Amino acid sequence: MSSKKIRLGGTALAMIGLVWLGVVYWMSFFWVSTEVTQGVAQRIFYVHVPAAWTSFLAFGLAALTSAMYLWLRDERLDRAAVSAAEGGMVFATIMLATGPLWGKIAWGTYWTWEPRLTLTLLLWFIFLGYFLVRSSTENPEKGKRHAAVVAIVGALDIPFIHLSVIWFRSLHPEPVVIKAEGPTLPGDMLATLLMSLGAFTALFLGLFLLRYSLENLRAELDTRSRHASV
Amino acid sequence: MRSGTQDWSGRLTPVSVATDPQAEEKASINPILRAAGLVREYGAVVAVAGINLSLARGEFLTIVGPNGAGKTSLLGLLAGALRPTRGHVWLRGEVLDFGEVEWRRRIGVLSHQGFLYGHLTAEENLRFYGQLYGLSDVDTAVRGKLEHLGIQEGASSLVRDLSHGMRQRLALARALLHNPDVVLLDEPYTGLDPSAASVLRGVLSDLRDGQRTVVMVTHNLSEGLALATTVAIMNRGRFVWHGDRAELGGDFSQFYHGVIEEQG
Amino acid sequence: MRNYFAQIGAILWKDLRVELRTRERLITMGAFAVLAAILFNYATDRVGVSHEDIAAGLVWMTIVFAGLLGVGRTFHLEAEDGALQGILLSPVPKDAIFLAKALSNFVLLYIVALLVVAVFMLFFGLEVGSSAGMIALVIGLGVLGFVALGTLFSAISTGTRMGETLLPVLVFPLLAPVVIYGTSATSQFLAGRPVTEAEGSIKMLAAFALMALFAGSWLFRFVVED
Repeated sequence: MSSKKIRLGGTALAMIGLVWLGVVYWMSFFWVSTEVTQGVAQRIFYVHVPAAWTSFLAFGLAALTSAMYLWLRDERLDRAAVSAAEGGMVFATIMLATGPLWGKIAWGTYWTWEPRLTLTLLLWFIFLGYFLVRSSTENPEKGKRHAAVVAIVGALDIPFIHLSVIWFRSLHPEPVVIKAEGPTLPGDMLATLLMSLGAFTALFLGLFLLRYSLENLRAELDTRSRHASV
Repeated sequence: MRSGTQDWSGRLTPVSVATDPQAEEKASINPILRAAGLVREYGAVVAVAGINLSLARGEFLTIVGPNGAGKTSLLGLLAGALRPTRGHVWLRGEVLDFGEVEWRRRIGVLSHQGFLYGHLTAEENLRFYGQLYGLSDVDTAVRGKLEHLGIQEGASSLVRDLSHGMRQRLALARALLHNPDVVLLDEPYTGLDPSAASVLRGVLSDLRDGQRTVVMVTHNLSEGLALATTVAIMNRGRFVWHGDRAELGGDFSQFYHGVIEEQG
Repeated sequence: MRNYFAQIGAILWKDLRVELRTRERLITMGAFAVLAAILFNYATDRVGVSHEDIAAGLVWMTIVFAGLLGVGRTFHLEAEDGALQGILLSPVPKDAIFLAKALSNFVLLYIVALLVVAVFMLFFGLEVGSSAGMIALVIGLGVLGFVALGTLFSAISTGTRMGETLLPVLVFPLLAPVVIYGTSATSQFLAGRPVTEAEGSIKMLAAFALMALFAGSWLFRFVVED
């Protein structure tokens, strides 16, 4: 695929995602019925859960492209990895910001050691390490390899972190545990959630493609300025 | 004879020490060490910008050039310490594969760093490397090298307590312990006192036994030229001149600076 | 294959021999562990909380911090005269180098970890009793997982401008499972609970150590490559 096509595709997807997100906001504020026990605050759920899903998708993509980069040594794979990781950071930050806001109203406390919240927080830090490593080597190529290793180990570690934080929670139950999701979710809430998942995914993929083509342009600029100086 | 400027990416003509007229042909057919289109980039910095070379058994290539010419990077590529951005290195006709390690037995590297552990004795250092190289008889190899380089009396001293000259000899013993076919030398004369330099000169001339292939990079023109059969001048990642040592006239220094200045 | 283990043995022997001569890492890690125990005594409320309840957590945090101190310096020994380059240029597979370095870290940190337990027994009057062997096993498995990740990330942080300061940021989030399962199993044994209750944690610690050793031996080559 040519870089122009990627850019156009990215723009189109991002635009679709934004419009779609507008619809989701309308649905979550005006259309969907209010959850009985938690009240209005539960509506943040339609941002929180899709943000969490998108950040996991993004980090997974970053780990996958990192592994492929180490294998094939194609610069484009590294560019894809860093673009996905940045997207993951953004959506994980949204997830981490909305979680405590919801928690304060629903459970009376900003922070709970809710397993998925904890996992996302640790993931956020793993990818903070990804960016720190990337930018702190003399030889940029070495930084890319080191960062790829961080992403892969992070991905391999996720099942362990996931199991351990769930298990920890089972030992130390929270005083108030409300399961917001589950098969009992009423139809209109489920529809809003699914719409939101779609909107977030489209938005992420659009931003990812735009970010990726930006990296490509940067690399091209780099090559051209090098040729010009020789 | 000078190669034209348009030929800067050019091939290094294989030249043998032997006067055998077939030697040149033999080298190109059956080179010990060969490189084609070697490029190494560090991000936007191009350290090695397209090197081709072909060296036969018994050849001693000296690469001279100013600091930052890419000499050490080139040596790293030949040693398999650096992965080339483009191009390949062949050792006895087999391409260097980073996943494999066996070919490393055939290469010995001496740099201005000794690769030695200060808290181990001289003998322990050699034994350690002997085990890494999987030598069949580590004891004999170690004793032989200690003797050859005249460092038996320092064998059981910690390396940190050895004099600089002794340490340099030990580094040399370490590099040659496994009897490599190809010896790569990175600025070996750096930081040597005159007596250590003369020991090094002696050992290096022993390497010209017709059995080995040696590549030395240095900015020390006189030491570099003393042992070479082939000489290359490197600047900005390329060979800007290369040829037979015998072709060089009396004042190499003047010639060298002329070539470098022409590059601007 | 015999050669492979001989090479691992050579590097391990060399590391331990150098450590025995300098005692740099053992002394700093050991002193840190004892001093941390002393400070913990003043930082915790002796009346409100019984020591058995928090000792396991303190033991593990001390091991993790002391471990970072020692593991962070894994490659400093090699950097002195470019010796790591010498090993990398030799015909030793990169995974063998990794396993040897992880093993030598394991030996050092395991000694320190057992010292930590002994110090806490002495200072806080903990009763290890009949579960001493199981506690040693739990700590051994946890330390193995720790050094596997620590060795890999120490190689990464040594190659960066930030150096060792980067190491905790990289390793801490990944270590959550070790701390969670290690602390839990240790506190169960300290409380005299039967082995079956800690079985799940022990299996997870073992699985984590395996994953970390596998990941390290596979990925180390990409870290040390120039």
